[in-house]
Amino acid sequence: MSTTDTLRATRRRRGLRSVTVTTALAAVAAGLFVFTMMAGSMRLTATEVVMSVLHLRTDPSVDFVVLGLRLPTALTGLTVGLALGASGTIFQQLLRNPLASPDFVGITSGAGLAAITGIVLLHLGGLWISGLALAGALVAATIMYLLAWRDGVSGYRFILIGIGVAVFLDGLIGYMLTRAQLFEARQAMHWLTGSVGQADTHELQLLSYALLVLLPLAVLLQRQLRALELGDDTARALGTRTEASRAALLAVAVILVALAVAVAGPIVFVALIAGPVANRLLGPAAGGIAAAALTGAALLLTADLVAVHLMPTPLPTGVVTGAVGAPYLLWLLATTNRRGAGG
Amino acid sequence: MSRLRAEGLTLGYDQRAVVSDLDVNVLDGRVTAIVGANACGKSTLLRGLARLLPPRAGTVYLDDRPVTALSTLDVAKVLGLLPQSPVAPDGITVADLVSRGRYPHQGWFRRWTGDDHDAVTRALDATGTAALIDRPIRQLSGGQRQRVWVAMALAQETDLLLLDEPTTFLDIAHQVELLRLLRRLNAESGKTIVVVLHDLNLACRFCDHVIAMADGRIVAEGPPTEVVTAELVEKVFGLTCVVVPDPVAGTPMVVPAAD
Repeated sequence: MSTTDTLRATRRRRGLRSVTVTTALAAVAAGLFVFTMMAGSMRLTATEVVMSVLHLRTDPSVDFVVLGLRLPTALTGLTVGLALGASGTIFQQLLRNPLASPDFVGITSGAGLAAITGIVLLHLGGLWISGLALAGALVAATIMYLLAWRDGVSGYRFILIGIGVAVFLDGLIGYMLTRAQLFEARQAMHWLTGSVGQADTHELQLLSYALLVLLPLAVLLQRQLRALELGDDTARALGTRTEASRAALLAVAVILVALAVAVAGPIVFVALIAGPVANRLLGPAAGGIAAAALTGAALLLTADLVAVHLMPTPLPTGVVTGAVGAPYLLWLLATTNRRGAGG
Repeated sequence: MSRLRAEGLTLGYDQRAVVSDLDVNVLDGRVTAIVGANACGKSTLLRGLARLLPPRAGTVYLDDRPVTALSTLDVAKVLGLLPQSPVAPDGITVADLVSRGRYPHQGWFRRWTGDDHDAVTRALDATGTAALIDRPIRQLSGGQRQRVWVAMALAQETDLLLLDEPTTFLDIAHQVELLRLLRRLNAESGKTIVVVLHDLNLACRFCDHVIAMADGRIVAEGPPTEVVTAELVEKVFGLTCVVVPDPVAGTPMVVPAAD
């Protein structure tokens, strides 16, 4: 077979796999989204749920359960999962390291500290928390960018400094909690564990609108990301404006994770796992942001179903993602070190 | 006048100037080698010419326009560079990597066209990497991997190609194979090639023009037969030697002197 045919066949196979996997992930996420609204003490059929959500049929008792109680939770799981999945894979590809998810490089902690301060000291809620989380994440990202800056940002430095910043900020969060009254401390602790069941309508709306803008933008920026993955010199030689592209990608990822943290608290590990799982499905180095986002949504919706329905007492979602994520992290640390790729 | 040239070029990192006040004319349609001892500034000069390092002073001109005044994307359509240690994402395949060389010819919404397909096909064929198309980069030997990186730079379809020490981690057979490939690319498409090399003998054998550097300055430049002498090698590398004609090609060959 000639080179041109082999190349065409290879690219067609990759393209087909990418479309199939992304479509399948979208179907799984949509299915879980509907199923989240079906399950519970009042069991509903998929038709009832869909009819009610789309306002095609009015049934006060179904509408109350679906629209009033379950839709906010399901929508939180979906949007927060999408945001964390996209944000995580952007960080990992940008910093060329599977450990570089926003929960490990201090961004989530920055958002968490600002939000906790708002809850504990200022007794705020709603959009204020989103605003504070966003500001906290941006400040954490800026501090790290400045600290890690040296003739451009190298992945390794960014991660080491990020871990340092994360530990420092977590210390401050602990200090904040010791300053809190008992009631607020409980509220803050629950928030810190991360749960999709606690969303405020305004925060959720903000995240949803942000996703409508930022997810397509992230998919467009994928082209730059693929060049940056080859190292700064190669990326520049290919004609990428490296610093501007990196700043744009970081901004998208930081805003997504900050708004997700504002809605559901710092849910751990989803951002870390979504990208690698999507890559496993897509084939090596595919790095599809859309697929990673959908994987994030599927993971978080599943974790929430497990946390709420399969446990003896309902748990915060973050407990389940943590229980699944921690072994993965250990496995990742063990294998990357063996391969010498170094975390 | 050369398409790529520099006037009064000073380059450096942090506070330190590594090369200062250089005038360079890259001969069109020729293969030029930049040679010199370690840390003499040869890679720095190449990075400067490829606009990866902004000049402290002086100007790099591409087609008579200051390279800093051109959009980086337009430069990338004319000038390609293979850096010293390029990074490959985990598990990336040959087809994927070479295809990424088409970056400057694609746009926000214009992704993959027939031109892209043809360019990648030609690059794979020219470098003899077509049979490796589905293989992950990490599984390849050093020589194969380097040819794949050259294929990526070729897919960029630039008239000028700069390579920063492409032979460093290769054994002698693969060094020769790579330099023959560069020679062939030059002969077949008239590509202007600039390559930083460690090995003076290989530079003399395979290149039309040699730029010898020491301490951030150009000590000599010209065709190898004219410039590579025992005095030059003493000056550039601090090695006393005898220069004899290569028994095959007649180009200068450096043989270290007896103790």
